[in-house]
Order: sequence, then C-alpha cells, then structure tokens
Amino acid sequence: MHADLARRCNNTVRVLTAVWLAALPVCQDAAAADAAVHWAFRAPRAPRLPRVQARDWPRNAIDYFVLARLEVEGLRPSSPADRATLARRAAITLTGLPPSPAQLRAFLADPAPDAYERLVDRLLESPAYGEHAARYWLDAARYGDTHGLQMDNMRSIWPYRDWVIQALNDNLPFDRFTVWQLAGDLLPGATAAQRVATGFQRCNVSTNENGAIPAEFRARYAIDRVSTMGTVWLGLTTGCAACHDHKYDPLSQTEFYRLVAFYNSVAEKGLNEDALAPPPAIKVPTRLQEAKHRRLQSLLATASEETGAKRDVLRQLRRLEAAFPWTMVMRDLSRPRDTHVLLGGRYDRPGRQVEPGVPAVLPPLPPEAPRNRLALARWLVDPAHPLTARVTVNRIWQQHFGTGLVRTSEDFGTRSQPPSHPALLDFLATAFLHCGWDLKAMHRAVVTSATFRQSSRCTPRLRERDPANRLLARGPRFRLDAEVIRDVALAWSGLLVGELGGPSVRPYQPAGLWEAVSYPSSSTAHYRRDRGRALYRRSLYTFWKRTAPPPALQLLDAPTRETCVVRRLRSNTPTAALVLLNDVQFVEAARGMARRTRRQGGSTQDQVRFAFLLVTARDPTAAELEILLDLLDRYRQAYRRDPTAAAQLLDVGDLDSDGVRDDVIAAAWTMLASTLLNLAETIHQH
Amino acid sequence: MHAAERLWRRHFLSRTTLGIGTAALAGLLDRENPGTAAPTAQRAQRPHVPPRARRVIYLFMSGGPSQIDLFDPKPNLLERFDEELPESVRMGQRLTTMTAGQRRFPIAPSRFRFAQHGQSGAWISELLPHLSTVADELAIVRTVHTDAINHDPAITFLQTGSQVPGRPSLGSWVSYGLGSANDQLPTFAVLQSRWSASLEAQALSARLWGTGFLPTRHAGVALRSEGAPVLYLADPPGVSRALRRDMLDGLARLNQLHLADSGDPSVADRIAQYELAFRMQDAIPQLANFADEPRHILDLYGPDVQQPGSFAANCLLARRLAQHDVRFIQVFIRGWDHHADLPRDLALQCRDVDQATAALIRDLRQHGLLEETLVVWGGEFGRTTYCQGKLTAGDYGRDHHPRCFTMLLAGGGIRPGISYGQTDEFGYNIADRPVHIHDLNATILHCLGLDHRRLVFRFQGRDFRLTDVHGHVVRELLS
Repeated sequence: MHADLARRCNNTVRVLTAVWLAALPVCQDAAAADAAVHWAFRAPRAPRLPRVQARDWPRNAIDYFVLARLEVEGLRPSSPADRATLARRAAITLTGLPPSPAQLRAFLADPAPDAYERLVDRLLESPAYGEHAARYWLDAARYGDTHGLQMDNMRSIWPYRDWVIQALNDNLPFDRFTVWQLAGDLLPGATAAQRVATGFQRCNVSTNENGAIPAEFRARYAIDRVSTMGTVWLGLTTGCAACHDHKYDPLSQTEFYRLVAFYNSVAEKGLNEDALAPPPAIKVPTRLQEAKHRRLQSLLATASEETGAKRDVLRQLRRLEAAFPWTMVMRDLSRPRDTHVLLGGRYDRPGRQVEPGVPAVLPPLPPEAPRNRLALARWLVDPAHPLTARVTVNRIWQQHFGTGLVRTSEDFGTRSQPPSHPALLDFLATAFLHCGWDLKAMHRAVVTSATFRQSSRCTPRLRERDPANRLLARGPRFRLDAEVIRDVALAWSGLLVGELGGPSVRPYQPAGLWEAVSYPSSSTAHYRRDRGRALYRRSLYTFWKRTAPPPALQLLDAPTRETCVVRRLRSNTPTAALVLLNDVQFVEAARGMARRTRRQGGSTQDQVRFAFLLVTARDPTAAELEILLDLLDRYRQAYRRDPTAAAQLLDVGDLDSDGVRDDVIAAAWTMLASTLLNLAETIHQH
Repeated sequence: MHAAERLWRRHFLSRTTLGIGTAALAGLLDRENPGTAAPTAQRAQRPHVPPRARRVIYLFMSGGPSQIDLFDPKPNLLERFDEELPESVRMGQRLTTMTAGQRRFPIAPSRFRFAQHGQSGAWISELLPHLSTVADELAIVRTVHTDAINHDPAITFLQTGSQVPGRPSLGSWVSYGLGSANDQLPTFAVLQSRWSASLEAQALSARLWGTGFLPTRHAGVALRSEGAPVLYLADPPGVSRALRRDMLDGLARLNQLHLADSGDPSVADRIAQYELAFRMQDAIPQLANFADEPRHILDLYGPDVQQPGSFAANCLLARRLAQHDVRFIQVFIRGWDHHADLPRDLALQCRDVDQATAALIRDLRQHGLLEETLVVWGGEFGRTTYCQGKLTAGDYGRDHHPRCFTMLLAGGGIRPGISYGQTDEFGYNIADRPVHIHDLNATILHCLGLDHRRLVFRFQGRDFRLTDVHGHVVRELLS
C-alpha cells in the first residue's frame, strides 16, 4: 500500500508540475472579462507556474508560487529545518502524534534522498492520520455526544465519527466524502456506510425542552444545516440571509430559503424526546460485531436443529444484533414539506413559498437533476464549482501552516481577506480536482514542499517585515491544538492506547462540572470517569457533553461543538498554563514519562537528554542541559527533605508505581518531566 | 529579545500582592496570534463613552421568577380570581406547548401582599423583606421583554443576544471591550449557587459564559465551591509552593533560551502567563476564604454565607471580586421555573436570595463600590398571569411569559429609586416603555462606557454585535 500511495502521490505531483510547466490553457482574457465578479465566485483556473530566480529551491509546484512572491518582496526563503525537527513537524501535522524515538532514529539513519518523502508516506498510511484529520472535520461537523440543548441527554452517533476516521484513512476521494455525508441516503442502493455518513447532518444540537414548539425547532435545524454546509463547502456565511438579504455577499433571503428547502423534509420530529438516537436512526455493527455476525451466520447454516445448537446460535445472533449501536442518519419524508421564506428568520412568519435551488451567483444545477440533497451534493463537487475545492485546500493549508492562504477559512465572501497567494490557491484547487479529489495527495504535496520544510526560526528582520508569516519566508510555527497537546503527552508518557474507534470515553475531569449545569434527570447529569485503558485513548474519543465540554480541552481553545467551526483561535492564558501544570492527566503523563526515561538506563545526563529529545526531537544545548540538571537536583533535594510529598506526587493518577523503588528519585524525575511538558517548544509546532 | 527579558525580570520582581496593575502585562495579555490580532481588539480597549461603572455584578435567576408575585402588583386581579383571561389580552400570541392546549386560561392573582418601600415608594412583595429595605437603591424595570418563550433559547438570548448557540456572552463582550483591570484574577468570573426549590431545575450551559467566536481568553472562569476554586488551580499533592516556584524559574529560563533561538514573541507571552497563573494560585484562594471578613459583614449576608456555594456566599465572594476589580461577575442561581406549586417554591427561592441581594447592595455601598459597580438582578423571562394547571385559593403555577417581566438595576450609572415602565392591568402586555433584552444589554454596556453599536468583532466577514442590529440605550434609567 505504501508503494501504491507513493506512486499515486508522486504521479499526481509530477503530472501537476509537468502540466503547469507546460501551462494548461490559461484564458487571461476570460479572467479579465469577469473581473467584476468577486474572485472566489469565479471558477479557479490553472495558473501558469511563475518564473523564479532561485530555480534550485523549489521542490514542487507549490514552491514556485511562494518563491515568486518572496522574490518580489525582496526576501529569501529560510534554510531547511534540521531533519529531526522536520520529522517531528511532519508527524505532528499529519497524525497529531510525535515520532517515536525509534522512528526518529530510523529516519535520521536513512541516507536515501527520498527518506523524508517515505516518512511522509508512512505517516499518511498510519491509522493515526485518519484520527487526526477526523478531528478537524468533527469540529466542522459540530460532532458531540449529547443533544446540546436543555436536557442535554446522551446521543449515539459515534459510528458516524468512526466512519469519518475510516473514510479519511481509506482516502475516500473528497467528492464522494461529500456526497455520502450530504446525501448518502439518497444514493441508489445506499450502503450502511453511506447512510452512517449522513450523520454529518444530524450532528446539530437539538432540544426536547418542555413547551418547545416542534415546527420552530425543525426550522432551526434546517437553517443550521444550511449554515454548516455554507461554511464547510462554500466558505460563505449563509446564515445572515436567514433573516434578511445578505448585506455583503450575493445571497438573497429567498435564495437562502431555496437552500433550506433541500433540508426541509427530514423525517424528524423537531423534538428529540431525549432519546439516545432520535429517528431517523439505524443500527450498525462495529467491525468486530460484523465479523462475529458473519461467523454466527455461517454457524447457523451448519448447526443441527436436533441438538438445540441452532436455537443456541439464533439466540446468540439476536443478542448480538441487539447490541449493535445506534447511529443517527438522514432520511427524507416521502412527501416533502413546503418551504417558505421565514420573515425575520421566524418560523411563525412564513412568507412566499420557495422551491429548492442554488444561489444565482454560483453555477446552476443541471436542469435535469432532481431537486434534492443528492443533486445539491453533486453540485458542490462539480468541477465547475468555484468554491468547494478552494475552500477545502485552504483548510489543508491551514492545518499545516496554522493559517490558511485565505486567513478567514470560514469566509471566502466579499468581506474576506484576499488570499495571500491567489495563484497558489487556484493551483492547489485545480490540482485537487485534477487528482480526483485525493486528500492524501494534497497533504503530501503540501508537507513535501520546500516551503513547508523551511526552518521556522524568525529573524528580527522577518518579524518586522512579516510577523504573521503570510509571505511564508519561514516554516510553520504555532501552538498545538488542545487534543494534540494531550495526545502527545500521552504518547511521550508511554500511556497512549492506540485503539481505533468505539463509544466515547471519559478520562479524568474535575468533579462536579456536569452536576453544576445539568438537569438532575439528564442522562449526562453525572460524570463517572473511566478506569484503565479508556483513560489513555486519543482525545477525539473523549465524550463530548456540549453544555459542559471537556474542560482541559476547552481551556486550550477547543470549540464547544454547538456550531460548525473550521478555524480555531489560539489563546495564551494563565488557565491553560494551570491545565498543563496541574491536571491529573498531565501530572500522570509526567509520571509515565519519568518512568520511561529512567528505564532507558545510562547516566543522569543521558536520561535528561532522552527526555528532552522525546519532547523536542533535538538534543539539549549545554545551557539547557545545565538548567535541567540543576532543576533535577533541586527537585531531588526538596523530595529528600520531604519524602511524604514525593509519595503524594507519585499517587496522582491511576498509573501504578511498579518498579519504583525510590520515591524521592521518581518524584524528582516526575517534576522534571512535568517541566519538559510545559516548555513552549514542547507544545508548539515548529 | 532584550525587551522580553526585561519584562520577564519585571514580572519576577513584582509577583506579590493583590492589585498591582501592570500596563505592560495587560499589553502582553492582548497579544495572542501575534501579528494577526484584529485591530478592533486594540481599539475596543478604550471606552467609547464616559463610563459610569467599572464592572458588573449580574445576579441571574435562572428559570424565570414571577414578576407578578414579586415586583409588578396587580391588586385589581384579586376580584377576577379564576376568571378567564380575555382573549383580547392574549391577542393570539404564541404560548408554550405546555399551556397552549389548556382549555382555560384562568387568572391567578398573586396571593402575596405588596407594600410600598423607601422614599421612592417602590412596590415590593412580602417575599422580599430585606430587599425592600434597599428599595431606594433600585431601578425596578417592569417592562423587560424577550423574543424567546422557552428556557434554553431565552437564557441563551439574554446572555448572548441570540437564541441560537454560538455567539459570545455578555461578560465576554465586556472583557473584550474593556480588557482586564487586574493582573491576577480572571476578567469574567462565574459563580454557581445552590438553590432550595425543586432540584429538577433548568439546566445551564458553558455557552452562557463562553466566548462564541471571540478569543477564548475572554471566557468566564467558573469559580467553584468544591475542589479547587478555579479549575486546575491547585498544585498537585506533593508539589509545594517553593517547588513550584523553582520549577517556574527553571521553566522561564528554558523558555527564555527558546525565545532567543526561535524569535517567536509568543514565547515571551507564555512566560508571562505562567507567572500570572502562579499569582492566581495565591490570589484566588485568598479571595474565597472569608476569614478576614468582620462579623458584622458576615451577619449582613445571613447564616448561609458560611456555606460555600450558597447564594449568600457567592454574593459576598462577588463583592470581594469587585474589590479586586474583576470586570464582570455573574452569579447564577437555578430553581425559578415554577409551573406548579409556585407559592411554596417561590418563597423558598426568595429566602435563598433576599437577604444576600440586599446585603450585597448595602455592602457595596459601604465600601464605596456601588457607584462604580452595576448590579443587575433577574431571569430570562417572566411568568404568566394565568394559571398553569390547577388553580386554588392558595396554590397555582405559572407558565413562561416573555412579553413582560421585571429586572432590577442598581449602582453605577443607574438612576436609583425608580420604577420604570408599565404593564397592562393584567400584567400580560406592556402598556408603556418597553425595554427589550437588546435595550437592556445596550444600557448595561453604556454604563460601562461601551457603545453597543461600536463594540464589534469581525467574524465570517461580518461585524458582530451583542445587540445584533437592535437595541437602544434606555436613557431614562441612567442617573
């Protein structure tokens, strides 16, 4: 598979570069003709590869665009990052996990010229890639494990989350990824997976508040679905037009409700009845259950009736089927509901009736297409659509560089900031179409570019010229996202449990948070944390109660998952510092890291080097080593004076203290590990 | 790099007592996403209009207290006990589905006595004897109205100006607009209280003090009465303050080296944030400990004040936070949703809040803080004049009523001793001077020196406001 993927990606990039060197027909005149139209509403055209002076710098087409701009600005690209930093950077950006020391060693020992490309391929093939990529998508999908409003009961839709991971790992082309989620249920002979995928549109918050009016909430859900589709695929703030014509973008209120009409016939009640999986919902076996089901069915075929074996297998089958998890899906009513413009966005003030349709500023629907979600989904991924590809590649860019080429990745409308590199954006968009919406190929193209491989060091001159690195004269540098910070800590501690999928888990959380906001009769009124392996799963499996989201993740800027978010802010607060210093999860991770470090053996210096290398992927400088050794010594002295304190520290978290013979030393190393986990360098991409 | 180092040293040397405001630090705090910060964020730090209040204490009665039993007397209704509320009054307005199906809408006059209090002669129910003693400090606004008819949308609307989740809360707007006034406490603090009526009470949500699309640092920080007063505030067992100090010193030195190597100014910010966290660890537990409060102050708030997490304890904590210049303090108490057994449950809830609310106002006054602190008291909507469920002489329930309800304002910028606005003879519709939630929020911001039309944040290509495209400052409420 590695080889296959590498070939495909290489082909894509080679073809692209060749194509662009040869220049696709570029219709400058046509481009000039519709210059009056906002750039994002014009279909992207393949731009010519720009001429550059430093022709030995570019590694792929991306670099020509970046370099051309730098040369215009009189800037030079930074030197490449050292290989260890690059390995860390690639692993974190593609999988959300650090390279293991062994991976790092193997990469550093690999003299082949394409060692880095092969590392990237391995990362793209690792299941952790799908988990990490899914986490961004789940922010956009506003995925949560509760209904979100009022009672905020638990909801079962995690099979959708697992579908996203699987689809991304399988590299399902983005056009199909889109169609399945928006209209999988409408595909002829829809498979279970295609129906599970439609959970995307059931992730909206819903209510069952006593006294709430179902029609009001049905209208609200439809508006939410249109707004989400607008942000994720169109990069447009359609929501404004729910109440009035859009003030800035060419979207009238009527057009908005034409979009709503696509979503207005969902066979749902409006109130969720506090059910685990309010209809429409289906039961789907997990992979394990599916395998077991097949086995039982073949047993059934051969089991003898007389011995009662058949009855026994049947009973097992029924029990197994009953245990299949529910997941919420889309299904439309057989007779569609009428859709009206809602005056002022109010469900009880219907204006004129509208039919499903798309905004006039965008390409029309094919005349013969039925006016349903399937047609809408296919329209979004039509190669002529100006927005979908641009908006999607921009999010890929944002993932790897911290900021999109269009900074406002949620808004490509007339009020958005223009892209920093318009031609590059269009290049990537057309390349994305050209390679068949191949997400992994696009990730690979970005992270193997010379642009991505630059050192992230910021000289005073660059800081003055371009503090936000919009010109890309240096590599990416930004604070890691909440989930990544927790996951890398778990990885370094050796505690991370790398299982894929399954019901959400409940790791450590301070007491009383759910109780403080919940109805006592809510199914999520009380938080009972898990024990054992479930404590150490990746953060995207953490149970998401929307009225009280995971607190440590929140303090590190995770959204609440009540609405679609495609761009997180990154804050720098004292409360976030307190999480990393004091959260049981991080203290326990420090314990794990300390244990792992000491098991390496060798001198104290060797061990300090090992721990430092773990979190930074580099050797400490002499000055750093001195500070760390001095700290370790202070910690040791303090715990020698107070061995009880050492024992207390080692009691934090469920991790047992097997093999620890000397509390004082173990506690001192725990503090040193905690120090390392709190380094700015540790929690940054760089 | 040199500047950062100086700054770092300064923080090390000045990390002691409460109340030191370092402008440099405030500047640092604002610098997230260096180089990309929206310029509006900087502009918003200066008030738009002369501020009358420096901060807000918002006492939030979640569930919707009955205005008709507390502040908006309708003695004329006593004669109409159990009479049908005229259709002409309801005017076909929508009801919740809890009472929309009722065959009758019988008038349920309040069974509580009202009297006039203070020089202003404000009408206040017998359920609030303590509050009545500070009547002359209050502006009683009887004509607040809202768009939403059920709890979740209504509380979200009141807190964020939108019924649909996703917008920043009032407190986070204030934090965004005014910035921090102290360097060791959160700008926006949230306190949740225990209550006495049915425990099956309306839920709250983190979104009510969340930031929507504003930077996360403007989020309300919940101060808790169990465990650490702020999440993750306490050092882990076995880590002494001295050891933490050693660690942070070492950490700062390492980060300093990284700052020099990477040239990333956010590293300097991070060093400062760790110092701020260290100071918070000392400052917040000190605030939550009432040992230094004199007896007569504790007595003022009543016996509940000794119970952490009681409304009384939270009111005293609110005053202490106000003293340290926390900008926005919101005290939540649930349990005001009285669809049935209203007389019993309302009395219980009033007992929770009456003495403490009055004490807070008096205490702020005697500390000289009331002039610069805006106090707000109220819930997300009011309750119907007609009965929900069975009506008897002594017992009744009331459904949600968004068309008129009462909120109280006091302190900074507010004209004291007035009753504002008039409802109709049934207490069902507004007869005179409506105050929409957007108007209320515009007025609150105005008292703080913020123009609700200019306090904007660009998101998704649009300048968002707390008041959307609505809202008027209610000038007659201002002193």
